[in-house]
Amino acid sequence: MNTAASAPVQSPRDSKRTKDRRSWLLLLPGLVVLFFFFVLPYANMLYISFLTRAYDEPYYHVATLDNYVNVMTDGFNWEIIGLTFWFAIVTAAATLLLSYPVAYFMARSPARRKGALLALVLAPLLVGVVVRSYGWMILLADTGLVNQFLSWIGIGSQRLMYNQTGVWIGLIHVYMPFMVISLMNALANVDPELEKASRSLGASAWTTFWRIVWPLSLPGVAAGTVLVFVLAVSAYVIPSLLGGYNVLTAPLLIVQAVMDLFNWPLGSALAMVLFAVTVGAIAIFNRIMARAMKGVA
Amino acid sequence: MNARTRFILPTYVILMFTFLLAPIVIVVLAAFNAGEYLTFPPQGFSLRWFENFFASGPFMRALGFSLRLALSVTFVATVLGTLASLFVVRHARRLRDFLRLAFISPLAFPSILTGIALLIYFYAIGVGTSGGVALIVGHVLVCTPFVFISVTSVLVRFDTSIEEASRSLGAGPFTTFRRVTLPLIKGGVVSGAVLSFITSFDQFPLSLLLSGIGTTTLPVQLFDYLRFSFDPTAAAASTVSVVITVVAVILTERFVGLGSLYGDR
Repeated sequence: MNTAASAPVQSPRDSKRTKDRRSWLLLLPGLVVLFFFFVLPYANMLYISFLTRAYDEPYYHVATLDNYVNVMTDGFNWEIIGLTFWFAIVTAAATLLLSYPVAYFMARSPARRKGALLALVLAPLLVGVVVRSYGWMILLADTGLVNQFLSWIGIGSQRLMYNQTGVWIGLIHVYMPFMVISLMNALANVDPELEKASRSLGASAWTTFWRIVWPLSLPGVAAGTVLVFVLAVSAYVIPSLLGGYNVLTAPLLIVQAVMDLFNWPLGSALAMVLFAVTVGAIAIFNRIMARAMKGVA
Repeated sequence: MNARTRFILPTYVILMFTFLLAPIVIVVLAAFNAGEYLTFPPQGFSLRWFENFFASGPFMRALGFSLRLALSVTFVATVLGTLASLFVVRHARRLRDFLRLAFISPLAFPSILTGIALLIYFYAIGVGTSGGVALIVGHVLVCTPFVFISVTSVLVRFDTSIEEASRSLGAGPFTTFRRVTLPLIKGGVVSGAVLSFITSFDQFPLSLLLSGIGTTTLPVQLFDYLRFSFDPTAAAASTVSVVITVVAVILTERFVGLGSLYGDR
């Protein structure tokens, strides 16, 4: 107290004002990076999607709707977007089904075991997706361990990669940790006493699950599903490595248009359409989930 | 829970963890296996794939470049993320929620689309992808949110009266930051930095789109290699990259405890 009194004293309002003005310097570098290297590039991509394709330079500065007309009227593009969404929806549903019991087990584990299991769930995320895809390539190859096992038990060797099967396995594997974590956080908030109360009042395990645990975990289900869906829509490595050249999804198509065909306006328009359709799908899903959650509350 | 479910659930959980970890374990096994293909039983222990890897010019250049890139990106992202977090937690008032969302938003956008947007943008402003500037910028963009999130999670729990005490005892703002604030938020800063390093080191879509001549990263080199051949030199390369990540995590554990890597305490 004494020291405070002897320190040079400014009027509190003055010091507050200079502090506020200087504090903006903390924000400035981050905002500059965000504006010049995130907002502007996306705005630029939107702008270029309305320009005319050129052959002697990246594009002509002539406004046109051709790119969007091309994207919208070419059935092939819609087929690809449809397939991409189908992959993403099934991946989200499959990771949800597979992860739920795991997340439940983790949420009901004692703290130490929970920590250890959480570290194991997160471990794959610390390994690059190229490495993980390669791991699956080794496992799923025609002469790989999985096929060896399938032959040994008498099912016989199957074609497991360079086709959709490989992409399914890879997508589910890569995005499952995200689902487990979302579900576990939600389930940890469901008080185990509620389940005990329900059981002691005579409800079966099945009824207790559907009437108590599942409804209360819906926020985690919704968050995990949206996250996995978004990640799976934009997956690039898995469809290209595990699908070989036999599976074409929207991100592969967009990169092809930009990198191989050098058709930047078309690539930009495709990107914008994929973006819009994805946001639309999430909006519809959120509305459905909001209604479901209102129903149980 | 009856006896039957008490047995079924743990068995199922073990199965799922096997599924989650199998491909990573397999890559490491393949790297030390003598044969061209990994089959059961393995054909014996060998370091030949590591010899191939360390003798390969393209792989060595990519590894060196990836490490330098990840270190520079980590430095920039850590400074940017920490400063932004200090502002948002301490000084932002009405704009707080907006700014928080803004700084995390690069993670919400698909990095393959961000990569294309940046590629086109860097050509439009006349810089292009040579020299690695576009690559650094792209990586900084997706790494900064991790620092921002982990520093923020520490800062919100931290009592500002300690700083006020330091100031009122006569310490200047810089001294207060260095001697009081920084030690308290160290855990958040370090774990954010480690996540940045790992994110940059493993980043693929942005690197694929933004790497120019001479700036190929290890994941991109590995991807190119896998499209044409399948031999376990790629497994050795993967193992080396896994080991680098594990070392980063172990160092964090030694200095600040592993819990802070996941954002708690």
